[in-house]
Amino acid sequence: MNIATLLRRYGTLIGFALILGFFWFNLPDSFMTARNWLNITQQLSMLTVVASGMTIVMVMGDFDLSVGSAASLSGIVAGVLFAAGYPIWAAVGVALLGGLVGGAINGVLVSFIGILPFVATLAMLTILSGAAFVLSGGKTISGAAIPADFSNFARGGIPLGEIGGLAVMLPNLTIVALAVVFAVWVLLEQTTFGRRLYAIGGNVEAAYLSGVAVRRLKLIAFSLTGLSAAGAGLMYASRVASANPTQGSGLMLNAIAAVFLGMTMSEQGVPRILATVIGVLILGVLDNGLTQMSVDSYIRQVLVGAIILLAVAASSFSKRLRR
Amino acid sequence: MSFLSLDNVAKAYAGVPALRRVTLTIEASEIHALMGENGAGKSTLIKILAGVVAPDAADIRIDGKPVDIGSPKEAHRLGFRFIHQEFNVVPALSVAENIFMGRRYPLRGGVLVNWRTLNATAREALEKLGITHIDPRQKMARLSPGDQMLVRISSAFLSEPDAPARLYVMDEPTAALTRDESERLFRVLRQIRADGGSVLYVSHRLDEVMALCDRATVMRDGATIDTGRMADITHDDLVALMIGRKAGEAYPAPGTAPTSALALEVRGLAAGRLQPTSFELKRGEILGIAGLSGAGQRELVRALFGDLPLRGGSALLDGKPYRPFSPAAAWKAGVAYVPRERRSEGLMLSRPIFENITLAQLKRQSLGGSFLTPRAEQRFATSLGADVRLRSTGPRQLAGQLSGGNQQKVVFAKALSGNPKLLLLDEPTRGVDVGAKFDIYTIIRDMTQKGMAVILVSSDLPELIGMCDRIAVMRDGAIAEIVTAEGLGEDDLLNRCYGRAPLAA
Repeated sequence: MNIATLLRRYGTLIGFALILGFFWFNLPDSFMTARNWLNITQQLSMLTVVASGMTIVMVMGDFDLSVGSAASLSGIVAGVLFAAGYPIWAAVGVALLGGLVGGAINGVLVSFIGILPFVATLAMLTILSGAAFVLSGGKTISGAAIPADFSNFARGGIPLGEIGGLAVMLPNLTIVALAVVFAVWVLLEQTTFGRRLYAIGGNVEAAYLSGVAVRRLKLIAFSLTGLSAAGAGLMYASRVASANPTQGSGLMLNAIAAVFLGMTMSEQGVPRILATVIGVLILGVLDNGLTQMSVDSYIRQVLVGAIILLAVAASSFSKRLRR
Repeated sequence: MSFLSLDNVAKAYAGVPALRRVTLTIEASEIHALMGENGAGKSTLIKILAGVVAPDAADIRIDGKPVDIGSPKEAHRLGFRFIHQEFNVVPALSVAENIFMGRRYPLRGGVLVNWRTLNATAREALEKLGITHIDPRQKMARLSPGDQMLVRISSAFLSEPDAPARLYVMDEPTAALTRDESERLFRVLRQIRADGGSVLYVSHRLDEVMALCDRATVMRDGATIDTGRMADITHDDLVALMIGRKAGEAYPAPGTAPTSALALEVRGLAAGRLQPTSFELKRGEILGIAGLSGAGQRELVRALFGDLPLRGGSALLDGKPYRPFSPAAAWKAGVAYVPRERRSEGLMLSRPIFENITLAQLKRQSLGGSFLTPRAEQRFATSLGADVRLRSTGPRQLAGQLSGGNQQKVVFAKALSGNPKLLLLDEPTRGVDVGAKFDIYTIIRDMTQKGMAVILVSSDLPELIGMCDRIAVMRDGAIAEIVTAEGLGEDDLLNRCYGRAPLAA
């Protein structure tokens, strides 16, 4: 294996290692600590869940722009039901079901009606976002309306022991994110369902002519993406103990960016769930490290965007060289 | 001195030679025929002339001066004009815009398109072919396939003062034309010859070539075999030169005759442009489907494969009612399909070979229909690969890294993965090199010996005659007649495709 192949295959990982090294060097006391890393995983848990769902549709070559507003809406739905006195399980169940249905609508629009995913999910983004404002009356639902058991979930975790006299725990949200990643990994990498999604992404016409039920699979895939977005919305609502009609808005672009970063790690440029997780970690570590170094948040945005561009550009450039 | 001379042209694709030792001279004021079987290398040679393919070696001279055709633009500048078989039209644009495809539009003040000049110049080009019934401002999509072909042809006759045309290369230009339209084209070509221009003419229609052309160059297996004056050569000599051997040897010998048990009975099947069609197919039989392009072959196959909604009719597969509503249902019923466009319809080029092969039978090649068993899949794919004589580095190699012939074998392995009762083949050897072709023919034969019934759609007439038991000739969306393949002449079959009475011998 020559250096070019090595760089092509592991370039993004090497870049990630360099970023880690940079922060470790500049933040020797706080960056490479268990506490900071558990904190990072908790901060990233929502993005991880959404990006996992996004990976499912991007495997087919599609994407879903509505995940952010789906997340916001699910938080609002749960909040409104809490306020109306429904039990936690009912509110959470309805919110998740709503995400599933919203995703299914995306799936119908894309696969049965034949609207481009960009247009269909962009319209859904607007609709779901509007619905969140209508349901909430444009206000944040918080305070006594949110049951303590619900918000305590995000604060809880499995105790791991003590470091320096302070209790350290594996946050529940991190556990949820890991469980979702595992489920998506099984789905995409170990089942015929996942293989067929990759087949659709490889050549939709050939897949269809080989007996793959393209439309039904797309419908299911979009539904799962919607479900994951709703789940992330609930995690967010639990973490901040409130529901706001715009709180999921940052998730969509970051999720797509994470999948793209992950795709740079694949020879064929296909999304893989574990690569997506690395993509999420890169985004999260950058955010965490730059914040600790007190870099201005606007400059942070510029830096993160530039790094995404750099990774994707380097990857497509090295692939072009090979031809 | 010849107008154009090519010497020692060679080209190999991934180590497989497509052209070797090609020599061709074209005089001014000449219509020169380029003859040869499918896969002889004609299209590669034309692509080199068009600047689309770079030769590995070539000595190309115009008026004795060496030239380098590095790009389609340069070919155009040198005065070469092409009418490709698969030259695409843009349906959403007007006739005039299609005629001007790839050319500079006439401008007004150097900025705005001068539509009046554009349309008038396009009309001029059409009128050279004697076409007055097509308005240059019409959308291309509204034209019949025949008229679209005429538009494509006339784009070669667009007058361009800054790069005057000197050589017209025509690849099967008459395939979609009526007799009258063909005659009109021939008159134009003769006029070009009278005006000092040259034509390189490629056609499988021997009568046409013998009547039109001054000289012929025959290609076989990537080399030019002979060049001679048409007046000095007989029809039979020409065929013998092209084939180089007796027809039939290129195909494996038929085994035992088909059984009498029916595999497929089709009664009045109609779908899309396909008119109500009836025929029967025995187990172990190969039924060929012949016809001019667009006569309904594709519709027939797609209807049988559940990809085209049926308007009516019924079918029995192994005596049981068969009415597929999707390709998935067709696979399930035991019908397999090798599509025409291997790269766009047959394969996932960026996925490993074994994923391509098992895709249609994933349910059976997994645990409980849900969980992947990649190792068992790879073993299965390896054994099927061996059956079809696939040459690869292993089941995990990417399909896109294989040569055309081996890619087609992957498609075949997928088709055979479920031991189908009926195999639908649409141009299974298109773009496949000679060796792989024979392998594919052998696979087909072997399968029929096991009782599989095969429908073989092909535009390669020798292939149909050499492989099939019977041949159904399609015209205008319906099966016009079904003939026994044995002893059938190529000319006879071609005439039947055109709906003309067989020529008296």
